[in-house]
Amino acid sequence: MTGRRELWRWGLVAPPLVISVALFVGPLAYLFYVSLHEVSPSELYGSWSLASYAAIAADPFYLLIIRRTLVTALAVLALALVIGYPVAYWIAKLPARARSLALLALLFPLMVSNVVRAYGWAAILGRRGVINTALGGLGLTDGPLGLLYSPEAVVLGLLTILLPYMVISIANVLASLDPRYAEAAQALGAGPIRTFIHVTLPLSAPGVASGLLLVFLLTLSAYVTIAVLGGPQSKLLVSLVYDSVVSFHWPQAAALAFTLLAIALAVSGAIMAVVRPGRVQGGRR
Amino acid sequence: MTGDDIDVRLAGVTKTFGAVAAVRDVSLEIPRGSIFSLLGPSGCGKTTTLRLIAGFEQPTQGQVYIRGRDVTDVPPYRRDFSIVFQSYALFPHLTVAENVGFGPRMRGVGRAVRGREVAEALALVKLAGYEARYPRELSGGQQQRVALARAIVVRPAVLLLDEPLGALDKMLREEMQVELRQLQQRLGITAVFVTHDQEEALTLSDHVAVMRDGRIEQVGAPRAIYERPDTEFVAGFLGASNFFDGVVVARDTAGAEIEVAGWRVRMADVTAAVGAQVRIAVRPERMRLGGPDAPGQPATVREIVYRGSTIHYYLDGAAGPILVHRQNAEPGAAELRPGDRVRCRWAPESGVVFAPK
Repeated sequence: MTGRRELWRWGLVAPPLVISVALFVGPLAYLFYVSLHEVSPSELYGSWSLASYAAIAADPFYLLIIRRTLVTALAVLALALVIGYPVAYWIAKLPARARSLALLALLFPLMVSNVVRAYGWAAILGRRGVINTALGGLGLTDGPLGLLYSPEAVVLGLLTILLPYMVISIANVLASLDPRYAEAAQALGAGPIRTFIHVTLPLSAPGVASGLLLVFLLTLSAYVTIAVLGGPQSKLLVSLVYDSVVSFHWPQAAALAFTLLAIALAVSGAIMAVVRPGRVQGGRR
Repeated sequence: MTGDDIDVRLAGVTKTFGAVAAVRDVSLEIPRGSIFSLLGPSGCGKTTTLRLIAGFEQPTQGQVYIRGRDVTDVPPYRRDFSIVFQSYALFPHLTVAENVGFGPRMRGVGRAVRGREVAEALALVKLAGYEARYPRELSGGQQQRVALARAIVVRPAVLLLDEPLGALDKMLREEMQVELRQLQQRLGITAVFVTHDQEEALTLSDHVAVMRDGRIEQVGAPRAIYERPDTEFVAGFLGASNFFDGVVVARDTAGAEIEVAGWRVRMADVTAAVGAQVRIAVRPERMRLGGPDAPGQPATVREIVYRGSTIHYYLDGAAGPILVHRQNAEPGAAELRPGDRVRCRWAPESGVVFAPK
């Protein structure tokens, strides 16, 4: 009886398990294996070597890109949190029906391809784009401003794509918070601001953490937006992975990919350590 | 009673949500140092009344006073009260000490004094030594005590209790009722207690307000409310009652004779005139049972429920079903069997007569 139930349980888990081992864990291990070799002009990889990692650690260009990647990602994170939280707070206070409509409306932009949206921003920010044409037409600027192909343009583009993830994550947690927490705080003499700082904000930590993680990981893996809005001057780590792949430097691409993964893990760990979503779990509803 | 003794006063308070009136024209006064229960079925407006005192809801009409101050337009955080919810609403990210210290901290009490106040409050609820725990590490009963400590540590003018014992099991609940009562008396706190549990209201309160459809049906001491209910609703909601419809057939100074299903019964304290239709309410424990030849209304035993200390008899009488409670130790209590023919009666003072609506 137990054996059969056990079998059933494994049966349910088996398909996703097989798929993830075959298509994710396996390739990842192979990628890591590749990253530990020299670049070869003819083969996928040459002999054993840590040259690819050494190049990343020693080359100021790579370090600059890594720093730029981190700064960009942190800027997107900070802006998404600062802009997203108040929106989420507002949405969470709406009546249930209006709230689901608002969340649906937030999902709506996600139905438009990132490529389309990136080119949309390019049309707005470009040298002959909407803004420069308007400013020039009004005589406010001497020549077109270099808005496009800048880190700011990348941040703006990513922000508009990723903001909904932040808002939805936080709004869902805020909406499911028992209003009695805030009422208990008020009864104890905390006004609206202190109630927010001492109670609502800490209790929304799970939403903040998942929003930050989603936005951060999607920022790291975004490519189109960065390529279109950043141009050749504002490359990020993903762009280098792509460049290495198209120039058939497979071990280099693999090493960069693992650097990216290490950054992702480190920052994710830092987010969890700072926001500590676990501290509000297990509370009675 | 002078106005100074009144900690909470509601004056003609009405609260409507859209077209629905949750509280209608409620006026009440809660004397200092007493426990006042708001009792009623769900949806009767008792919780809304409590939330109006707290300021979580604004009255549509009327005034709310706490310690003589009109707080109708004062936000909750500037009213002098604290609250214990059924769900406790302990802050999960704060330790027990931080939870209890939250009120003093918000009121600007310094760290040293705060530590002493927290320790005192935790000692009062017998949770000394639990300071560093988190709420999730405590049992339901312990969480309940923390919630209580958090509420009393600020020495509020009024302590609001929103079914605070509802989540506890029966044994723990009765234990907490006694403790709550002792704590309230020791500290001289004024408390408003919302409950749908009539036994709890009777046990805990100095005064009970029975609510129905947003109105207060009757206010009084537990004994008065139970023994002399003003309305049929109160008689039926607070404990069980047997109702008998009858007609007043004779009156004198001591009371009246009422005919119920062809059987005459004397009742004291009847205001209705001769010929009037009335309804008599008699508590099951006031009913007396006798053998088939004894005086009283004839009935047949339908079912007997053994409840330990009491035995409940469900009888079929000429005027409808009758419920009789007897102490287990009463002589002859255990001898009846279903199908037995009996007679039941009650003393003139042990029932209440309602005039028809």
